[in-house]
Amino acid sequence: MRLPRFKYLGPETLDQALDLLNTHKDDAKILAGGTDLLVRMKKGLLKPNILISLKALNELSYIKKQDGYIKIGARTPLADIIASDLIQKEARALFQACEKIGAITIQHYRGTIGGNILQDNRCHHYNQSDFHRSGRQACHKDGGKICYAREEADRCNSTCQSDGATALMALGANITLESKGGQRTVDLANFYTTDGIMPFAMESHELLKEIIIPLHGAQSAYQKLAYRSAIDYPIVCAGVLLKHSLKKEIEEARIVVGAMGRSPLFLAQVSSSLKGKKLNDTIAFKKAADASMDSSATFAVHNVGATLDYRCAMVSQMVFQALEQAAKYIKR
Amino acid sequence: MSDYTIIGNRMPRIDSRAKVMGKAKFTADLKLPGMLVGKIKRSPYAHARILNIDTSKALALPGVKAVVTGKDTEGIKWGVFAYTRDQQFIQTEKARYIGDEVAGVAAVDEETALAALDLINVIYEELPPIFDPMEAMASQTELIHEDFPNNINIHVNIDTGHVDENFKKAHYIREDTFVAPEESYFQAEPYTIAARFDHEDCLEVWCPNGGPHMKSKPLSNSFKIPLHKVKVRKIAIGGAFGGRSEICPVDYICALLAKKTKRPVKIEFTREENTIATRQGHAMITTHKTGVDKDGKVLARETTCYMDGGAYSSTGPIATSVPFLSMEQAYRMESVRYNGYRIYTNKPIRGMIRTHGRGFACGLDTQLDMIADHLGIDPVEIRLRNSRQPGDYTSTKSFVDSCAMDETIHKAVEKSGFKKKWGKLPPFHGIGIGTNSVQTGFPMGIRGGSQSFIKFNEDGEATVMSGVVDNGQGNDNMLVQIAAEELGLLPEDIHLVSADTETTSSDPGSYSQVSTFVGGHAVKIAAQNCREKLFKVASKILKTAPDNLVAKNRLIFVKNDPEKSIPIKKVVRISLLNFTSVNAEGGYWPKVDMKREWVSNPYGQMCEAFSFGTTIVEVKVDPDKGQVEVIEVTAAQDVGYALNPLVLEGQFEGSIAMGGQGGMLTEYHEWKDGRCINTTMLDYKLPLACDMPPKINNIIVESLDPKGPYGAKEAGMSIAMSAAQGYSAAVSNAIGVHMDSFPLTPDKILAAIKEKKQ
Amino acid sequence: MEKILITLNINGQSCEVMVYPNDTLLEVLRDELDLTGSKESCGEGACGSCTVHMDGKPVRSCLTLALEAQGVTITTVEGLANGDDLSDLQQSFIDHGAVQCGFCTPGMLMSADALLKNNPRPDKKSVRKALAGNICRCTGYTKIVEAVAHTGNPKDHCPDCKPGK
Repeated sequence: MRLPRFKYLGPETLDQALDLLNTHKDDAKILAGGTDLLVRMKKGLLKPNILISLKALNELSYIKKQDGYIKIGARTPLADIIASDLIQKEARALFQACEKIGAITIQHYRGTIGGNILQDNRCHHYNQSDFHRSGRQACHKDGGKICYAREEADRCNSTCQSDGATALMALGANITLESKGGQRTVDLANFYTTDGIMPFAMESHELLKEIIIPLHGAQSAYQKLAYRSAIDYPIVCAGVLLKHSLKKEIEEARIVVGAMGRSPLFLAQVSSSLKGKKLNDTIAFKKAADASMDSSATFAVHNVGATLDYRCAMVSQMVFQALEQAAKYIKR
Repeated sequence: MSDYTIIGNRMPRIDSRAKVMGKAKFTADLKLPGMLVGKIKRSPYAHARILNIDTSKALALPGVKAVVTGKDTEGIKWGVFAYTRDQQFIQTEKARYIGDEVAGVAAVDEETALAALDLINVIYEELPPIFDPMEAMASQTELIHEDFPNNINIHVNIDTGHVDENFKKAHYIREDTFVAPEESYFQAEPYTIAARFDHEDCLEVWCPNGGPHMKSKPLSNSFKIPLHKVKVRKIAIGGAFGGRSEICPVDYICALLAKKTKRPVKIEFTREENTIATRQGHAMITTHKTGVDKDGKVLARETTCYMDGGAYSSTGPIATSVPFLSMEQAYRMESVRYNGYRIYTNKPIRGMIRTHGRGFACGLDTQLDMIADHLGIDPVEIRLRNSRQPGDYTSTKSFVDSCAMDETIHKAVEKSGFKKKWGKLPPFHGIGIGTNSVQTGFPMGIRGGSQSFIKFNEDGEATVMSGVVDNGQGNDNMLVQIAAEELGLLPEDIHLVSADTETTSSDPGSYSQVSTFVGGHAVKIAAQNCREKLFKVASKILKTAPDNLVAKNRLIFVKNDPEKSIPIKKVVRISLLNFTSVNAEGGYWPKVDMKREWVSNPYGQMCEAFSFGTTIVEVKVDPDKGQVEVIEVTAAQDVGYALNPLVLEGQFEGSIAMGGQGGMLTEYHEWKDGRCINTTMLDYKLPLACDMPPKINNIIVESLDPKGPYGAKEAGMSIAMSAAQGYSAAVSNAIGVHMDSFPLTPDKILAAIKEKKQ
Repeated sequence: MEKILITLNINGQSCEVMVYPNDTLLEVLRDELDLTGSKESCGEGACGSCTVHMDGKPVRSCLTLALEAQGVTITTVEGLANGDDLSDLQQSFIDHGAVQCGFCTPGMLMSADALLKNNPRPDKKSVRKALAGNICRCTGYTKIVEAVAHTGNPKDHCPDCKPGK
């Protein structure tokens, strides 16, 4: 399966890249590891005129601890994140999420964390070849007016299946977007448009530069459900963060459910219901897990391969297991 | 330790070296001078009349060398059987599934070929599509094929008589329905074909195939050239699993493009095309009604099976029969009525696949477990009371010669600890058993036999010619092992010329499960005939009767006096110098009932041997997530004789992966309006290395079939079926609910657990 | 679209080849350089059949642009043997019956080779994890896992290990 034609640009520095982005904007797409972009191009889902490659931008590949934060360059390969002691210890949910992305030999050395965050939303009706999509009306995401996943829907219901974004949102991460002559830092939880067609609140001349994870002495965990133990995107996933007091009580919880909606779902109310609860309060965890299920069920449609009922039911399992795991790490 | 020198040993395969070096050539690896890239234009509609095709813009595109449509053919409908001729090679009137071939293009590169496809303007008139087989039978809309009322493609009816009266005698009767959607082959190698006409107007073809002679005959017919001018070549093949056997439109289209352009043309399928535009397994709804006596012996059985055949017949009659036949071989069923319906729908074409009706087999075995439950006997016991015995006749009147079904049951039970575990495991921890049987071949008329030629070269090494094809299962190695054994040579002294229709004789094809039994047997006979000639010459030199000679390790020597020997090489040379040939041929034709026909006369000797197998599976089910953890699988098969245990084990393990792990837990196709949603390796869930059970026990049972070469018969495949049944039974046992809908995905398991609680 | 001249370092040799920007490394290996050992089975980076090494790390060549493969050491399955001398891993695959149709074999070997360079004596669980991204339809993986785990590490109980070979 061949890629469509494009013009290839290989900037040597970040500034050069930003310059090119500023010039070409919508005409161009950023190429990092290629797992998401190149596959979509092969299926004919998009045909960008220009690819701006981050290959030479080693300056965007780093993991460091600075001023109470972990800072990760967007172009850092997943393998580096998995190998990082710092991340394993202090941002465990991210470590667990990256481990489960794809498979070692096919994604971890080429795939990047930025690429995983910015992977396009998915739907098993949309992510199909040109041929599959011909002979039927185009769906919303494909430039048409129909949703094949939810009848009568007037908007796209494609799903965010990013393991990395789910975990990072649970960790309370911010991201830095750079552009020519500008920079802004955004809370990841505010980065989503909830529009299935253009999921990210990001301009075409902006580049994801850095991920910033606050270190607040909390523990985190990530749980992923898929049919197989590798290769697959999540059919439902959950990332949690638990910050505790010296009295082993939860000071702050963050529960994020992924692969159920057009963005990872940060469940603020459910999360705050855990405030003050003890770390071994299994009943409270169960309650929160069930509440997570109720909250996220409304968003999901049948478009990622398993039955909808099953995915909804599993939200509770994933959240509960993640909470238990995070609590266990704290006790160590 | 084996009784033989080479046969029976764990011998690494002769084709492995080239494969580990990346040197083995598969069809997509071929480069021929001037080769063009071919692509197929496919219907995007499931059911549509073709009103017009305008190829002018495509032809005008620079780099396009030929465009073909139905107008370039005679529009004749082809079929595997005379009564299933329903498919044109390029559709002229109607498209009947999304993917149906309507045109072909040959161009200088892929980009140009694809652009040309876009420029072919096809005007369709959409017709009401039918996707559900039950609806198809009742439908009042336009028939998919006008000659097949009610959209029924094939109806197999088998009735041994006395069914109703024996039901009346039954102590306990159950009727249960089982459902399974289609599964899919997913061979590692996507289908690819290369074709060219040479300067003598001979057609050369390379493609993965289940039997090159199955491809050459229809090509000879459709291009109206004699068989000796159709050369389907040997090429490394990346899996078949029962597919890739009969001719397909793309084969014809590729050859036609080659003819028109006078250049070689290669068409490589994408993974999607391999999934939707070759074959898939049949989705089936099977109802078994079984009546037993108080001991659990089956007195009467009635089975009805509705199969979703897709848009064309393919090997319909065989596909509609084999699920039933495998079970009637495995179990005694003296009084049985079977009605199998293969129904057309506007979906991709269904064909013969290794798992042969997982829902069907799992249904029958599950029902036996349910009956055993009711009668208070254990699953092993009920199987032993109904199992096939040597000397039996099957319901459709095949004599069963060698049969060690019971031995496979006993050995699997012992190794797995079934008796210690069954009924004693904690909740959500289960163990289950499945048994099955596979026919070693079926009546194939003029192509039922295999013939081999062997020639000796002056250096004392031999070239063996055989029509047997290797799809990856190890047939090439099997032929060389046999030839080396009989000729007294070492495997490295044998050069194999196989699966090439220019030089090799017709062979039934690997998909008919007879590569060893018939093809290997032919090589054995040819080699013995060669040896006889060698001995005749050697006996004069060594001054002893030919009966006293042995050929081994490149020598011919006197049985009780091995010092008296002569190298085979020398015997060959002496022969040639004395105007005597040492080349020979050999052939084997199984004595089957040539009057047996799938639909019109489904009775009589089906084949000369049957294999039998039992698989026991132990699992743990997560009651919260519905996921299955497979602890251990024990697979036992009566293979007659193990020519190469190393290869055999690999077949068992592959069978467990395909029939059990994938077939029972994760593999199925999902559809939307006739479109297959999961055509890719990402979306169709084949098992991965980390998904497979950590412990697999392979038990080879040898009943030494009297007809099979060295006693060997079909090997490895019955495990694909009994594994499915074992997985299903184990999960059912773990959750305390007999499952009737396959595969057993987590959602179904959870739903069953929930329902049980209520 | 213009072709660009690139230099690739493959299996220890430097090759100059003209490529289009949209050529993948897999296409260039197979179509331009006659290195057909790496295979296309899925075309979308899910099956591992196209696995090659770039600076010793396994990557899927079907999603790597050829012109981004410059400046690194590329190893394909053809580069595992030393002339006609197979590597221990390759020989182990043959001896253990780990090759059936052979289509997934090159990718398997490349993934396994990368594992063994990092972990010369992996247990079976680690092998399965390392090969999780390589899909095989024929073998059920058992003998592949054995072949990798027993490379340079022969087991007494295994009839197919040939110690000292």
